Amino acid sequence: MAAETHLVDVGALFAVAAIAGLLASRIDQSVIPFYIIAGMLSGPYVLGTLDLPALLGTGVLPHGEALALDGQSEFIHLGAELGIVFLLFFLGLEFNLERLLASRHDIGRAGSVDLVINFGAGLLLGFVLFESLLAALLVAGIVYISSSAIITKSLIDLGWIANDEANPLLGTLVYEDLFIAIYLAVVSALVLGGGDVGEALGSIGIAIGFILALLILVQFGTAWFQRSLETDSNEFLVLRALGILVLIAGAALALGVSEAVAAFFVGMAFSATDHVHDLEQLLEPVRDVFAAIFFFWIGLETNPQLFAGVAGLIAVAVIVTTPTKLLSGYLGGRIYDLDERRSLRVGLGMTTRGEFSLIIASIAVAGAGGALSDSIATDIYAFAVGYVLVMSILGTTFMQYADRIEAVLVPRLEARSGAVSSSD
Amino acid sequence: MTIYESDLPGVGKKYEVELEDGERLIIVTHNTGKREIYKKDEEGADSEKVFEMSDRLARKVGTILEGAYFQPVQSDRVETMLTGETFIEWYNLDPASVLVGQTIAEAQIRERTGVSIVAIQRGEEVLAAPGPETTFAADDTLVVVGDRDDCRDFESLVGGDGGR
Repeated sequence: MAAETHLVDVGALFAVAAIAGLLASRIDQSVIPFYIIAGMLSGPYVLGTLDLPALLGTGVLPHGEALALDGQSEFIHLGAELGIVFLLFFLGLEFNLERLLASRHDIGRAGSVDLVINFGAGLLLGFVLFESLLAALLVAGIVYISSSAIITKSLIDLGWIANDEANPLLGTLVYEDLFIAIYLAVVSALVLGGGDVGEALGSIGIAIGFILALLILVQFGTAWFQRSLETDSNEFLVLRALGILVLIAGAALALGVSEAVAAFFVGMAFSATDHVHDLEQLLEPVRDVFAAIFFFWIGLETNPQLFAGVAGLIAVAVIVTTPTKLLSGYLGGRIYDLDERRSLRVGLGMTTRGEFSLIIASIAVAGAGGALSDSIATDIYAFAVGYVLVMSILGTTFMQYADRIEAVLVPRLEARSGAVSSSD
Repeated sequence: MTIYESDLPGVGKKYEVELEDGERLIIVTHNTGKREIYKKDEEGADSEKVFEMSDRLARKVGTILEGAYFQPVQSDRVETMLTGETFIEWYNLDPASVLVGQTIAEAQIRERTGVSIVAIQRGEEVLAAPGPETTFAADDTLVVVGDRDDCRDFESLVGGDGGR
């Protein structure tokens, strides 16, 4: 494939992504599905197949192939990889072990309920749909992990952030994020380690060793991380942070360990320093730019024709995993002693899936032809993209129309729990 | 006065302040520095956003609330101008003042100073428009109306060395 990207291609990428973002904000939707769709439309599978001269009857524009952006191009692919690194870095940065331990009781219970119900349902679903254990593990991750980015933004936009439902929502997301860091390490080792069990065990060993090394670094290296960013200049701060983060993530990838996991731990190491606030402020736009490239790249790599083949799978997954999140979220709200209405809101909020499901999908593609057969890898990828498109829009809509949904469901829930408590 | 503090992972911090009438004031401090102020009518109600402020503005408002620019003071002498010439003033009656124990008539307030005593605040109660038979007690707060010179004359009467 062409590995060359011209400046005008990068310009087109940003322009199309910007227009997609504008559209999304106009109709109060999450930007993520729009970036993906924009990528799909600009990619080789849609724009690349249009014979524009024939369509327009004039040779003003060349054949679509010449215009289409290419997901294989080095710049876009690396940009997407940086997007993953930044997303996970921020996760680690926000992750505060002491805080988690302080409220471990509630977060632990609500998070475990969420894990057992959704990951369990995902395992069953994946095994039924793909008849392979590794595929089941991937599907379980895809349907389990809610979207921190979309949910947090919606909470702020809707003003729920000041309500009691914010605590179980954000708490459960913290639990999911921690789980997904470990999960990514194991799954990427399994997928990239080839199909051989011995080899997989070996790569899991390397992955666990690398994570242990990072954990030791996090535990004992705080002072060093603190000193590493001691500067009054924003320029130096950003450069040093990127130098440390991207170097460690890249080294991890070179060793065959997930770069996302490495980035998570680097974020965790910085979370214990005084620089958290500066890093968040200075790197947030950087993260958003590269995350947008990541979603765009996901779209570029997606052949919409493949959706036809997996439409049934997506429909089944949506039908199964929407109620599971509603249920686990509701139970999580009850664990936090919220009333029926607010517990239902937790469920509605948790429905949204997004960026992490896509990161798992990109791992599946990386394993194509090795641990996974080509066809299963392609199917899982298309399934994940379609699933995220549906669930991100559905979840955002659920939150926007929560009032109407509550009006229908809350009286029933109250009647039911009233019946339960009176029969006690 | 209870203030609940909770972490909002990925967002910032939330402070919930119980106000006196059961309402709640909620301050969400974002990691970006943005502050959002919400109001809840009661504990279980939905929060309504009242306004949001940038970091700089929030600090400014904070210092105003803290009283850095203007601290309400209950000084011995608060003066309010009714017109350019007439003042309404509050005086604390010093226990050592010659007025303590005298009635308004005996002290010949109007004749000696020119001010009128319009109210006397004694502990929790307020004696509005006290008559000439009203007796001054130590630590009374006297509310008087008069021009600047009259008020100054009166001030020397209520002080410890008043009238000597």
